[in-house]
Amino acid sequence: MATPMVLAESVYKCFGRLEVLRGINLSVAAREVLCIVGPSGSGKSTFLRCINHLEKIDGGRLSVDGELVGYRQRGDKIYELPDREVCRKRAEIGMVFQRFNLFPHMTALENIMEAPLRVRGEAQKAVEERGRALLNRVGLADKVDVYPNHLSGGQQQRVAIARALAMQPKLMLFDEPTSALDPELVGEVLDVMRGLAQDGMTMVVVTHEMGFAREVGDSLVFMDGGVIVESGSPREVLANPQHERTRSFLSKVF
Amino acid sequence: MSTGSDAISDPTFPAAQRPDAIKAIPVRHPWRWVAAVVVLAFAAAVIYTFATAPGLQWSVVGQFLFYPEILRGILVTLELTAIAMAIGVVLGVILAVMRLSANPVVSSVSWLYIWFFRGTPVLVQIFFWFNIGSILPYLHIGIPFTHLFWIGTTNKIVTPLLAAILGLGLNEAAYMSEIVRAGIISVDTGQTEAAQALGMTRVLVMRRIVLPQAMRVIIPPTGNETISMLKTSSLAYIATVGELFFIQKEISNFNYDIIELAIVASIWYLAMTSVLTFGQYYLERYFARGASRLLPPTPLQRFRRLLFRFHEPPPVGPFEPPPIYEERLH
Ligand SMILES: Nc1ncnc2c1ncn2[C@@H]1O[C@H](COP(=O)(O)OP(=O)(O)OP(=O)(O)O)[C@@H](O)[C@H]1O
Ligand SMILES: [Mg+2]
Repeated sequence: MATPMVLAESVYKCFGRLEVLRGINLSVAAREVLCIVGPSGSGKSTFLRCINHLEKIDGGRLSVDGELVGYRQRGDKIYELPDREVCRKRAEIGMVFQRFNLFPHMTALENIMEAPLRVRGEAQKAVEERGRALLNRVGLADKVDVYPNHLSGGQQQRVAIARALAMQPKLMLFDEPTSALDPELVGEVLDVMRGLAQDGMTMVVVTHEMGFAREVGDSLVFMDGGVIVESGSPREVLANPQHERTRSFLSKVF
Repeated sequence: MSTGSDAISDPTFPAAQRPDAIKAIPVRHPWRWVAAVVVLAFAAAVIYTFATAPGLQWSVVGQFLFYPEILRGILVTLELTAIAMAIGVVLGVILAVMRLSANPVVSSVSWLYIWFFRGTPVLVQIFFWFNIGSILPYLHIGIPFTHLFWIGTTNKIVTPLLAAILGLGLNEAAYMSEIVRAGIISVDTGQTEAAQALGMTRVLVMRRIVLPQAMRVIIPPTGNETISMLKTSSLAYIATVGELFFIQKEISNFNYDIIELAIVASIWYLAMTSVLTFGQYYLERYFARGASRLLPPTPLQRFRRLLFRFHEPPPVGPFEPPPIYEERLH
């Protein structure tokens, strides 16, 4: 079996005395799209942030592309990774946030070029070409020199996706990418994500868009209270939930 | 009302039917005119009193206004202000970042520095550096466990100018660090998160993402600090630095035209602070880029508005950049 892109084995995480993740087990294969759904506070964002080590896990094992997140294993000893290594690994994972988090003091193109230039030290010209191509890909070729505040929410989120793609990641994490958008702007962002999935990007998507999950997702997990309550193919779980908690959640969302 | 909203929602509503602009007689503001007259009368009285004061020789003011010594003093004042502020800003940024560090030793050092340098008068600090030669006649700098060292006479190294620069700059750093810290804290944590997710190191995040955004909060009080420094630099006279205040005092010690020379100095201080105020607007405009849809007005725009405002309703308050995000969370 090929190495999974993400492998979580009884991942634990607590904030003080609050146990937010209580033993998460899942695996995401390369080119797979995993959707995570669940009620507010169930630990979806926290799990996503653990994958690129924005949060440190307190127990279990979490690896990306066969390497531990935040640690290195030598024999049976585990060493914490130095900051520089953590940053290098994060650069290989793209993340898209609910609130876009574009850099407001940079234009759309500058937002996209920042990390390839400063983190990877790539050549200005190549990065600019790639940046323009990415903006074109997300349908914003005419917004190159526009500051984020002059863009609609949907446009901002598409720039944010392009910014993450500029680092040519092997994995993309989406944390409710359409939840802060007006309903009529949701479609344009989902279209971009659908295109990404078709191009074979490995994606972990926290979402409340059940239509997207059913159509684009290869698998789906339902989280509640820091554990995975139910998982399977999106069509099956959504059409025929086995658990009472899943049923009551889905009845509220639809 | 209902017809009005129908008209707006109907895109085919013919433009020709747009109603005429309102032609109303504007509200009169008689009290503005009264206030203007009172203020003008008062100003005239003050000017007249000083212009005709029997002991005041305006010719002396004119004679010394462009006196070469005075002009040289102005240069020293500007030099002192620039260097002390540069030290203050650079050291202030370092202290602010240290203060916010996760390392408790580093953040305590910053806290102690601020506690000490903000807690003692700057005049005393300048005086301390000026007289440091009396307790440490020689300065040694050596590399431990080697015979390599360097030694110098303190009074030759810590010149009066350096004593003033140290006193003013180190003190300013304590104040600037608090300003910078407030600026850093004002930047949304989502910015740091997004930058980290892209693989940026802490230093890079601070330099490229957080500090540039913090500037919007940092610049206005820094302008105030610079203006304040321009005047506080006069305390360097205690270290016998030949800046504007010291020079005018030297001259008036000699010719006893105390008030006349104080007026000369004041005119120059006012002129310099006015120029700085002007520059501050443009800096603020630069760092507001991307942050809001409206740039703050330039001084010229403000001035024009002030002239026209006499007939207009009062303005809606000073420029306030809107929050960086439109909060549209559910
Ligand atoms: N930095 C933190 N410190 C303390 N508690 C936290 C922190 N981050 C998250 N939590 C808590 O952890 C729990 C799970 O949060 P998380 O953001 O992962 O939920 P979520 O499933 O993403 O919810 P939502 O759908 O509202 O985004 C919540 O109770 C939250 O208050
Ligand atoms: Mg969340």
